[in-house]
Amino acid sequence: MVLYNAPINKMLVDEIVDAHVLVIGSGGAGVRAAIEASRYGGVVLVSKTIAGKGGCTTMAEGGFNAVLRDQDSVLVHREDTLKGGAYLNDPALVDALTHEAPERIADLIRWGAVFDVTDDRQVAQRPFGGQRFPRTCYAGDRTGHEMIMTLLDRLDATDTRLYQEVSVIDLIKDENGAVAGAIALDRDGSLMLFRSDATVLATGGGTQAYDISTNSAAGTGDGFAMAYRAGAELIDMEMVQFHPTGAVYPYDARGRLVTEAVRGEGGILLNARRERFMERYDPERMELSTRDVVARAIATEVLEGRGTNRGGVYLDVTHLPRERIEARLPVMLEQFLAYGVDIRREPMEVAPTAHHIMGGLRITPECRTTIPGLFACGEVSGGVHGANRLGGNALAETQVFGKRAGEFAGRSPERNGQVDAGQIDEKIHMLDAFLEGTVSPATVRKDLKLTMWNQAGIFRNAPDLRTALAHIRGLADQRLCAASTANLLECCTVRNMCTTASLIVRCALLRPENRGAHVRRDAEKTDPATSPFCHTYASISREGIERREVPA
Amino acid sequence: MKEITLRVARYDPAVDDEPHFEEYTVRVNEGARVLHALHAVHDEHDPTLAYRYCCGSGQCGSCAVRVDGTPGLACMEEARDGMTIEPLDFPILKDLTVDMSPVIAKIARICPAPDAGLPTQEEIEAIKPLRDCIECLSCVSACPALQVTDFAGPTVLRQEMRLALDPRDSGDRITDAIEKGLFYCTTCKRCLEVCPKEIDVPGKAIEKLREIANRRGLTLPRHQEVAKMVQETGRSVERTKTTFLEQVPEVIEPIGPVRGEVGFFVGCMFNGRVPQTALDAMEVMKRNGIRVIVPHDQVCCGSPLIRTGQTSYVADLKQKNIEAFARRGIKTVMTICAGCGATLKNDYETPFVVKDVTEILTEYGIELPAKLDITATYHDPCHLLRGQGISEEPRALLRLGVREFVEMPTQCCGAGGGVRSGVPEEAKALGAKRDECIKATGADVVVTVCPFCEFHIADCTDTPVKNLVTVLLEGYKKKDAERKGSA
Repeated sequence: MVLYNAPINKMLVDEIVDAHVLVIGSGGAGVRAAIEASRYGGVVLVSKTIAGKGGCTTMAEGGFNAVLRDQDSVLVHREDTLKGGAYLNDPALVDALTHEAPERIADLIRWGAVFDVTDDRQVAQRPFGGQRFPRTCYAGDRTGHEMIMTLLDRLDATDTRLYQEVSVIDLIKDENGAVAGAIALDRDGSLMLFRSDATVLATGGGTQAYDISTNSAAGTGDGFAMAYRAGAELIDMEMVQFHPTGAVYPYDARGRLVTEAVRGEGGILLNARRERFMERYDPERMELSTRDVVARAIATEVLEGRGTNRGGVYLDVTHLPRERIEARLPVMLEQFLAYGVDIRREPMEVAPTAHHIMGGLRITPECRTTIPGLFACGEVSGGVHGANRLGGNALAETQVFGKRAGEFAGRSPERNGQVDAGQIDEKIHMLDAFLEGTVSPATVRKDLKLTMWNQAGIFRNAPDLRTALAHIRGLADQRLCAASTANLLECCTVRNMCTTASLIVRCALLRPENRGAHVRRDAEKTDPATSPFCHTYASISREGIERREVPA
Repeated sequence: MKEITLRVARYDPAVDDEPHFEEYTVRVNEGARVLHALHAVHDEHDPTLAYRYCCGSGQCGSCAVRVDGTPGLACMEEARDGMTIEPLDFPILKDLTVDMSPVIAKIARICPAPDAGLPTQEEIEAIKPLRDCIECLSCVSACPALQVTDFAGPTVLRQEMRLALDPRDSGDRITDAIEKGLFYCTTCKRCLEVCPKEIDVPGKAIEKLREIANRRGLTLPRHQEVAKMVQETGRSVERTKTTFLEQVPEVIEPIGPVRGEVGFFVGCMFNGRVPQTALDAMEVMKRNGIRVIVPHDQVCCGSPLIRTGQTSYVADLKQKNIEAFARRGIKTVMTICAGCGATLKNDYETPFVVKDVTEILTEYGIELPAKLDITATYHDPCHLLRGQGISEEPRALLRLGVREFVEMPTQCCGAGGGVRSGVPEEAKALGAKRDECIKATGADVVVTVCPFCEFHIADCTDTPVKNLVTVLLEGYKKKDAERKGSA
């Protein structure tokens, strides 16, 4: 250990923490994983924010899909999820999701979650897009916040050690190639080393790589990038969900999520000519079609000149009773009121916004990644949602796979390899270089976000994607500059955003079809059920697209 | 885009002895929030600026700061030219980041009973308004009780009530709440004013917890004495002299033509302890052509009982008071006690309109008094400012009555919520803080419109304290004397 404490170019590892299970991320999946792993002892949870305040779970509004009624069935939930995902989902993961979601919501309720209930004392459910049964459980329009508060209550009852405002910047491996922990920066930029037998990556998504995004500031794709650098394989990174309804103005609030619950509660979409345009795109399901369809419909209306002056369409709930809006959509009401729009009396203006990354680390149903010692759960993993995620399946995913990751990580044997000191040296040299860099991370971040929005957004084509990739590579090569040690993290984050963006664009180039959320204007639309293509994959050592037997 | 200038508190404990301000001019978009102005400072001026943020949409509670002194979410407050941004009132880590963990650690966790089922819809609906909290800690930063006691803070008590309402919780929330300072809250509602989720902690948590405490016999002895007195006498204040009601007829006719008519709800303090002020108010009404009807069968409004959780007798008081005014066909009831006014407006359902004396006088317009040759400052009674949303009317009236008016920062005097009787040392400490503010203004007189504030502040400062109506009446007397002199 002496080695780590020796000053190297003004930097040093200031603290070493040993754990049986290291959980990275304090959103719904990470906290659920820590709770489960704590049954096996020695759990450390590292959160880059104050726990409960970071990540996207706490912002999730609409709900949690679970089969709870006799009239509904796990089989139908499974079919809805596969169909919604354009049959790109990993069926084994979908099985786990749909079977275990009811048990996981029962956990939350047992631990004190305040979900809405019906007058006959059952968990209330609302309809969400792409589902044949109203199976989305909710707590008003602050469902994720309710979950995270409950999970933190429960976490507090375990002996998990919590490190807050400590940001993991890279995974560390041992001489056997197993993940052996992680290296992190605290608030002041001091270096910490976490060593563990098993590591759970639960860092969430990364649509902050786009100019217009619903993600919290924490959604910078760190997990994708760190796992990629550690050698893990990622799948379907081109599958980025554009949520149909993001706020359009004021400028700085663009992209802010307008929950699907607005449409679930009966909100309708109108173009600038006040036409209910969903009739032309999905006359059967209308506003409650799947997100990919609704997002493209809105984008098309705007592109073809039927949008509002601000480049959106109208989302209207003024025909609903005021009390219903106040009771079911209080957060929406409050947010729009803050910007001078009373949604009880006037329509909202909305446009698509980058929301969720369906792709991610390739995992088994036990949440094992392709490298030993590393587990993944939640948005950082791929395969559950295929080419398009159903609203309400992400919160369910955090709980189902959080629990699984925690359990299997907890059961991991003691790791006997040694942390490779050379890797730590390497990280320290990288950080030192930031202190001598010349380019502001803010500039690179802004440039990257615009590039992704303009050239790897809802509608894509190969030339644009190639241009974007070259540009992103240029940005990734910039010599980022940290103004102080506390600013080192910003540089690491921008670097992660560049890696995430590059993975999205590379996979988008690999998939020569239109499927789910991935639309290549220079490619054919395939029938999802019979498409010859399966997952795209990318790792340090290989990348490509899987083909599958096409049923005759 | 527009250009704005902002002052930001900077502090790096590694190099600075104390926080200082830096001024920045930045370009922001129309509709930009405080957070976006901070981003602009960070991106264009100084990347070392430390500030927290995460969701950017008012849902995570990371980014609360003080904007021109008032706590709020940086991501929701609109950026203004000339604004000053400071950290919340907690130990500063760096610049705008503070140590939130000691407070968050006090927020109770649920202790689920092993056999608990799903709560009923009714129970869920009761819990929900207390569940919106995002733990931004704006309320804790703003709470005056925390400045002088070890009160755990509004949101900590909010959580105790949230858990008390949940059939799944097995903890002893009342004992917990009392340990965390249940009786320290003055019900000033500053917490509600700054809460981005508009959670009424005093009304929906503190007073309700005090009610449960009352049912368990845990009400403070001094508060129990008050309740006993109300039950026995209909009044919350001991009778020490001839009361107001004993001195006035049922109808007080104005001098000259009748411009209006109001019923008068006198309240226990003005009736029993400071009747002269109520008599002064009657003179002002007479002078301004307003007929005052004073039902002699009115009783205590119940505020001292509601604030301290002793509500079993309140329905009876409400009924008596409503009948006393309704029976006489009174359409508008005037209060000159901020506490009574807030109670009648917020805790009653009345068949008549309730208005504070300053609203009545503003509506009718008053005869101009001669200006008293003094500098006066104004103390906002919490139950007038936040309880009734009245701040401009008394200031405008006061400006008519004195040579010079000077503002002082608004803060609870410490008398409310049963604190003056129940926790006198806290009331005294908050009163002393008022005294500091009063001294800083250099005013000759402190004017207010609440008998509790008036009485309490008078105990805590050498500066004379007067009710607004007394100032107006003195102005009329001066005017009369001047006329007489010149005649």
